[in-house]
Amino acid sequence: MWEFLIPLLAATVQSGTPILYATLGEMMTEKGGVLNLGVEGMMSVAALAAFWTSLTTGSPWLGFIAGGVAGMGMGALHGFVCISCLGNQVVSGLAITILGLGLTNFFGVPFVGLPAPGFNPFDFPILSQIPVLGEIFFKHDMLVYISFVVPVLFWFFFRRTSLGMHVTATGEMPQAAGAAGLKPRVLRYFAVVGGGFLIGLGGAYLSLAYTHLWTNGLSGGRGWIAVALVIFAFWRPGRAVVGAYLFGGVMAFQLRLQAMGTNLPSSLLLMLPYVLTILVLILSAWRGRRIDAPAALGTNIEPEG
Amino acid sequence: MFKIIKREEPWKWGALVILLGALLFSLAVSALLLVGQGKDVFEGLNILWQGSFGHLWALEGALLKAIPLFLCSLGVAVAFRMQIWNIGAEGQFALGAIGATWMALSFPDLPAVILMPLMFIMAFILGGTWALIPAILKLKLRVNEIISTLMLNYIAILLLDYLVFGVWKDPTSFGFPMTSEFSSNAIIHGIGGSKVHWGLLFCFVVGVGLWAFMRFTRLGYELQASGEGARVAKYAKIRYGMLVMFVMCLSGGFAGWAGCVETSAVLNRLQPSLMVGYGYTAIVVAWLARLEPLNIAFASFLLAALRVGVENLQLELQIPAAYGSILEGLILLSVLAGQFFLTYKLEPKRSQVK
Amino acid sequence: MKKMLKLFVAFAAMALLLSLVACGEAPQEKKAEEPAVEKAEAPKEESKNIKAGFVYVSPVGDAGYSYAHDLGRKAVDALDYTTTAFVESVPEGADSERVIRNMARKGFDIIFTTSFGYMDPTIKVAKEFPEVDFMHCSGFKKAENVNNYFGRIYQSRYLTGMVSGAMTKTNKLGYVAAFPIPEVIRGINAFALGAREVNPDAEIRVVWTKTWYDPALEKDAAKSLLDAGCDVIAQHQDSPAPQEAAQEAGAYSVGYNSDMSSFAPKAHLTSAIWNWGPMYVKMIEQVKNGTWKGDQSMWWSMQDGVVDIAPMGPMVPEDVKAKVNARKAELKSGKDTIFAGPIKNQKGEVVIAEGTTAPDGDLLGMTWFVEGVVGTTE
Repeated sequence: MWEFLIPLLAATVQSGTPILYATLGEMMTEKGGVLNLGVEGMMSVAALAAFWTSLTTGSPWLGFIAGGVAGMGMGALHGFVCISCLGNQVVSGLAITILGLGLTNFFGVPFVGLPAPGFNPFDFPILSQIPVLGEIFFKHDMLVYISFVVPVLFWFFFRRTSLGMHVTATGEMPQAAGAAGLKPRVLRYFAVVGGGFLIGLGGAYLSLAYTHLWTNGLSGGRGWIAVALVIFAFWRPGRAVVGAYLFGGVMAFQLRLQAMGTNLPSSLLLMLPYVLTILVLILSAWRGRRIDAPAALGTNIEPEG
Repeated sequence: MFKIIKREEPWKWGALVILLGALLFSLAVSALLLVGQGKDVFEGLNILWQGSFGHLWALEGALLKAIPLFLCSLGVAVAFRMQIWNIGAEGQFALGAIGATWMALSFPDLPAVILMPLMFIMAFILGGTWALIPAILKLKLRVNEIISTLMLNYIAILLLDYLVFGVWKDPTSFGFPMTSEFSSNAIIHGIGGSKVHWGLLFCFVVGVGLWAFMRFTRLGYELQASGEGARVAKYAKIRYGMLVMFVMCLSGGFAGWAGCVETSAVLNRLQPSLMVGYGYTAIVVAWLARLEPLNIAFASFLLAALRVGVENLQLELQIPAAYGSILEGLILLSVLAGQFFLTYKLEPKRSQVK
Repeated sequence: MKKMLKLFVAFAAMALLLSLVACGEAPQEKKAEEPAVEKAEAPKEESKNIKAGFVYVSPVGDAGYSYAHDLGRKAVDALDYTTTAFVESVPEGADSERVIRNMARKGFDIIFTTSFGYMDPTIKVAKEFPEVDFMHCSGFKKAENVNNYFGRIYQSRYLTGMVSGAMTKTNKLGYVAAFPIPEVIRGINAFALGAREVNPDAEIRVVWTKTWYDPALEKDAAKSLLDAGCDVIAQHQDSPAPQEAAQEAGAYSVGYNSDMSSFAPKAHLTSAIWNWGPMYVKMIEQVKNGTWKGDQSMWWSMQDGVVDIAPMGPMVPEDVKAKVNARKAELKSGKDTIFAGPIKNQKGEVVIAEGTTAPDGDLLGMTWFVEGVVGTTE
């Protein structure tokens, strides 16, 4: 039983990591009041940018940062369309996804099938010796370890820094925030670009750590899962971690079921992650709490006169 | 630098100007990509044009692609008007195809006069149901429809795979995932001698039907007039919930019809390669068309022609296939950005004379 | 008023289009004006210049299936009397029909459609263009001007199975596979037969990813097999991700489509590879000489040079290499006994009787697993 469970949980952590980065990024954007459906496209572009940078400079760390920067760029584009031009946020996000996937596959052609320097798993000193927990959490690559810290930083930023609280205020009541002397539009840009950075890191993870390759379709729908998980997480980082690992776990689980020789049809097994996402959303609502979405999420701020 | 002023009334011809401007802008930016690949820009644009509009067969190809796109877009538009973000057209398309296939495989010998309507009805039912699920989830449990419709897309495709690899697999297909070929009664044939099939007429009927519904019925008029569901419901004396369900059912039904038409007329059987992303492109089309049926006809043809033209670019200049997506994305983004000017205008900030 | 105008315009445009379309297509002379990027065109058979077109289902740069076909195209292109062009990422179905028809219209002499799903479209277009030759890969339909062709990659799989069976210590071999279609199932079976010939205790476990191309998922799938105790990972997928997973876990791996050793030098035992070049060139020569014949099912083998295995890695001991090379030589000489009976299925029933060899038809439609394979074919 343990022989099955421990590797499964370890795989869960790895599988959930890119989703965690992306979910936190989307969460940041949404806390500012902007809905971003472009995560899938952004992760894709970031994965390519990270890969290319690592390949040309030889440094995976530069690649990691490059992924974040690419995410910032795409985020800024989305921000421009929604914040400055007041475009519909839902459609803009979709357009970003289409554009992002197109850019990725267009520019990525010469890079398919090339290996690039990336991050490799290693045993975290001391902590990896802990029985069970060490196996599950501390035998991964550096980016996973960073992802353990990011939710904490996220919480700290939003709960303990004034900038974070200003962003939250913008997401709830932009007009009031404006009246109080804040600059809601600027804060929204910050949220979109900052969130884009995190999303980009998630994409970079895919091409630098999860695999050391770049190919078409690397993001594999994870961007969409991230958007769903933000809702599941009630816009809180702690629950985002739960959600990301839950999702990663289901993906890993159905594969392992197959590897063990089950007779269940694989098409049905592959549906599990998506069914789970819907169940998760249903359960979130079922608990009766009002969904604590930022009140101004999805609406645009009209310019003053 | 610039002052933003709200227009007293929306810019009349603005929509068209913006669309054209967006097209030009996107073509220009993507032309830069051609340059980056070392190709001649004008040659590229010419090939694009030739491939989209330059020949009769190009127009034919565009028409063929426009048909399912049109139907899906109609569905998307109907839902978007009520601010119900139905991203699930792709999955509803698949369910419609499944519904049509079910009828075609179960009753191959029924005369076409009976079988065809049966296929369309079942396609509508299954597609509509697939859209109804997220609608109910939204109403009863406040589940965000963007996510639920999206997840159902993935599930629908896997369902199609499951059927086609399993119980519906053609015994004579050497184990390949496809259903048997439909009987002639279940196939929508071409008009005259051409490849364009009667689905085109169907589109016309549905399009006009929807337009008439929106124009001449009370419910339709209110749907058309406003974007906020609750207000519409109050006017039409229908509960908001019923309205949502009705709209989503319609939305999914249209996409389902698209699936039915494509399976019957073009593929003549059900196989996984049916799914080429019409459901997602439909969102682009619907938005470009500002959610109106007539415009959707033009917009779906335009985007279909674009796709076909890009293929020509691939063949002649070996440009990667993703070029089309870049164009689509750019067009949509620039239209979105440009629509700013429909409600606002910029005036240089001079002295405060007003 | 504006609405009525729009309605009228739409109606008129529609009527115009309908009538144009219903009256049939414009005559073929429109062909001449397209910009000739490549060299000259000239009419059909007697032409000095042969135009060969290729249609791919995935991007060429995938280091996988389409990449292998494209290498074949490059071999054709290298001849001095040929011009080639390709279109990639063409979805099967209506899009492919249009692309193939376009190529035929543009005066290509021979068109290679390289994915199973292009079968019906190829046949349809071939009917309209009887002077064009068509080669459809991995299908089963043919016509007067259409051949279907494929390669007996299962022969390579058999050999890679032998290597894997010899190298495994846990006796569990993992196989990351895309879709349960006959060619994949056949490959798994051949792999299993090869492995069990050198190691009767070997067990082959299969995980389906339902995608040709999702590196992260493929890596996950490989990992799940590794966690289940497999120490050799083989694949019928286009990305090298499973190779990476194997190397990270200290296990061995077998690649596909091309030599994947650069991705996992410590793990990579060998790969089952395609080599379409020589046969493609042969087809072109036949077209040039006017000896090309349609209506055939061509299933090229190791003897034709179309399938092979990548050089075996340094970790493979010499005696294993010798055994495998001996078998390879046999296959190269045309002696194929891979699917010779008695062969049992997963339930233990004898499906291929002793003394018989499965005919090609059975192989092409194979949907059952041989004994020793753990997993469903769905």
